Amino acid sequence: MSRAQGARSSGARLPTLNGIKRFFPFFAAVILSILVALLALGCAADTLTLEEQAQAIDQRLMCPVCPAETIDQSQADVALQMRELVREKLRAGESEGQIYDFFVERYDKGVLAEPPAEGFNVLVWIIPPVTLVLGLALLWLGIKHLGRPETHRMSSRGDWEAESERYLREVNEEFEAFRRASGARGASGRG
Amino acid sequence: MAELGTLSLFFALALALYACAGSIIGVRRNLPELVTSARYSAYLTPLPVVLAVMALVGAFLSRDFDIKYVAEHSNAAMSRAYAWVAFYAGNEGSILFLAVALAIAAAVALALAPRLHQASLAYTCSIITGVLAFFLAVLVFLANPFEAAAVAVPDGRGMNPLLTHPGMFVHPPMLMTGLVTVTIPFAFALGSLLAGRTGDEWVDTGRTWALVSWSILGAGLLLGGWWAYTILGWGGFWAWDPVENAGFMPWLALTAFVHSIMVQKRRGMFRVWNIALINVAFTSSLLGMFINRGGPTPSVHSFAESVLGWVFLGFMVVTALFSFGVLFRRMNNLRNAQRLESRLSRETAFLVNNLLFLAIAFVIIWGQVFPVLSDTVTGVTITVGEPFYNQVNGPLLLAVVFLMGIGPMVPWRRGSLAQMRRALLLPFIIALAVALVLIGFGITKAFPLLAVGLSVAVTVGIFREWYRGTRARHRSGESYPIAFARLISANRPRYGGYVVHLAVVLMALAIVGTYFFETQRDVRLAPGQTAEVSGYSITYIDSEQRDFPDRAQRIANVEILNEGGESLGLFRPEQSFYPAFNLRPARAAIHSTPLEDVYVIPNDFFPDGTVGFRILVNPLVMWMWIAGPVMVLGTLIALWPARQKARAPAAISMSPVTRAYAPAAE
Repeated sequence: MSRAQGARSSGARLPTLNGIKRFFPFFAAVILSILVALLALGCAADTLTLEEQAQAIDQRLMCPVCPAETIDQSQADVALQMRELVREKLRAGESEGQIYDFFVERYDKGVLAEPPAEGFNVLVWIIPPVTLVLGLALLWLGIKHLGRPETHRMSSRGDWEAESERYLREVNEEFEAFRRASGARGASGRG
Repeated sequence: MAELGTLSLFFALALALYACAGSIIGVRRNLPELVTSARYSAYLTPLPVVLAVMALVGAFLSRDFDIKYVAEHSNAAMSRAYAWVAFYAGNEGSILFLAVALAIAAAVALALAPRLHQASLAYTCSIITGVLAFFLAVLVFLANPFEAAAVAVPDGRGMNPLLTHPGMFVHPPMLMTGLVTVTIPFAFALGSLLAGRTGDEWVDTGRTWALVSWSILGAGLLLGGWWAYTILGWGGFWAWDPVENAGFMPWLALTAFVHSIMVQKRRGMFRVWNIALINVAFTSSLLGMFINRGGPTPSVHSFAESVLGWVFLGFMVVTALFSFGVLFRRMNNLRNAQRLESRLSRETAFLVNNLLFLAIAFVIIWGQVFPVLSDTVTGVTITVGEPFYNQVNGPLLLAVVFLMGIGPMVPWRRGSLAQMRRALLLPFIIALAVALVLIGFGITKAFPLLAVGLSVAVTVGIFREWYRGTRARHRSGESYPIAFARLISANRPRYGGYVVHLAVVLMALAIVGTYFFETQRDVRLAPGQTAEVSGYSITYIDSEQRDFPDRAQRIANVEILNEGGESLGLFRPEQSFYPAFNLRPARAAIHSTPLEDVYVIPNDFFPDGTVGFRILVNPLVMWMWIAGPVMVLGTLIALWPARQKARAPAAISMSPVTRAYAPAAE
């Protein structure tokens, strides 16, 4: 959108918006604080039923005999039994951590759908944000580089000469191609 | 039939190799006749490949179990309609599918290439046919689908029962076509680079083909989700499974590319970066094909482990080294035509978009590779599964939606903060209002609130742009519908892109609905018993059993009542047991409304007559499937060549001298 268009569209704005705009920081602050308060309330009030807890656990345990399916997804008998076991243990008052430990002991660490953030496996969690930060840094450098005038201007006379020579050559090539093509057309027209 | 198939594959390989070598030798030695004949050879290659496909499908139809592949992927009981699905149900057949899709796309792309590519077309042709020759060589020497069975069998093993689903007629073909056609924009980019044409000539053709494979791939992924939803029996459509990821990675890289290529199209910038992006997209599509053939981590969908995986990996490494090598060598010639004028500009927004999409793709690759890494370092096999991807990629996807609300509002070249505030105030105020209403309805989770709020902001922004544009045209005397249609066709990449953005919003809503607000119950019901799940009553009436030669099918008759006690109808969800595969694919009963789906799937038929059901109430899922056609429509608008534009490339490449000469020649 060009500047002129922008100005035109701003002129056509609803007049009531101006009022809102003037008090925008105020509005934003009020609304944000309401949001935060309600979110806090919501988190506090969020108590899960046993079934919901169990389903959350199901989604974090892999079915040991099926490739790449959690016990929540899999319909294998083992998965069914494991789901039952999760509910039994929750009813017996075991914590989520205890349940995971139990299954890790039985089926090894691969049974967990996400690797625990410990030892070498910390890396799986750390590398993505580190990469994102590196990417952002690269992006920043790239933007700075692209903004520098010398990246787009022909830096030396040699460049300019090469460019114009290439251009001239292209013109000649095209000219030749065009003449050949139209010559052929003319010939076939006569025939 | 087998001999015909093998022979035509040999013939196709010879044609592709001739096209590949002929183009490159012809252009290097300056032999235009050789270049032309090589290109004709590329036009001809699809014929024998199609013949091979017909031979294979024919073998399935005539139940020719002397062919090993046919015996392994079909049997006498299989419906003949599934011959088409069985053709690509296994490793060899799927490579044949890749080959035929690429061969046809290559011929079409080369034939349609505008004259402006003349200087680089030989290189492009050589690259495409080189890749095609790779697939054909694999078919001929390593994975011939026409190989004879070692021992004669009276009946085949049968097709994987998970594939007997209508979605399978189109989902795998689209996914594979999408993956393999990334070759074409890649070949145009690299071809022009090899020819020393470092300008923007390849951009329009490259963008069009990238959009083609991007939309085919996207539609294929969505169809895969639909298939998983109706048949896998857990009620979800996406699980970050390796094979899903294999198609998703190139899609992400292409998404980055189709955005940033606009900067080169309009402003002649990001010349190095765009070629790097299309290289990444091509490499990741080969990585996807490698993962589908026994990649590093197990998957529900993949073909059995095979050495072929390593052949694909090797090819991927070679092409990546080659393409980035070429880019590196020519990098100094790829100068930006303009400089970046401001940090607040559409150009920058596209760069941030690229960063986000590449980050999501990186997380996927990292999640795939890490188990292998961990295994070699610590010796303990671990799983990197769905929770990891949801936690790491969830926020990144949210950031994508956020950017989608802002990016299109940032002007090209240079924006100002005041302008941004004007553009964003209304969308974000409405978004906040919607969030507050949602809080009023008791939705207090942060992620859904943010996602829905941002989606609202995106939608408001788009509709306001449309409204403003239409109104401006209406004022100059056009009626509203015509004004709107002309507005869209005046800047198709932009307004088509908006339609795609709306599709993404629909998907975001569906994802939020299912991930945060689904209700799931596993119940065991005796005939006549009823389960209540969030207002719906599901009554199990009785069950039927039908026996087929290859499977035992059980059907549960179920009635669903809504909150008011009205019947939504009788449903017949089913489950079949295939002893040859030890698989129990199910078919869910789904009652869909725009608001929510009731989803009933029978998972266990117990001997005492009770049935174990999984019942889900899934909000907003329907919008996921509606998003598909919307997305395709948007892509079509975006890539549809404008009437004047069709001649525009020629006009640009024509120098003043030629143009002066042109009228005289007419």
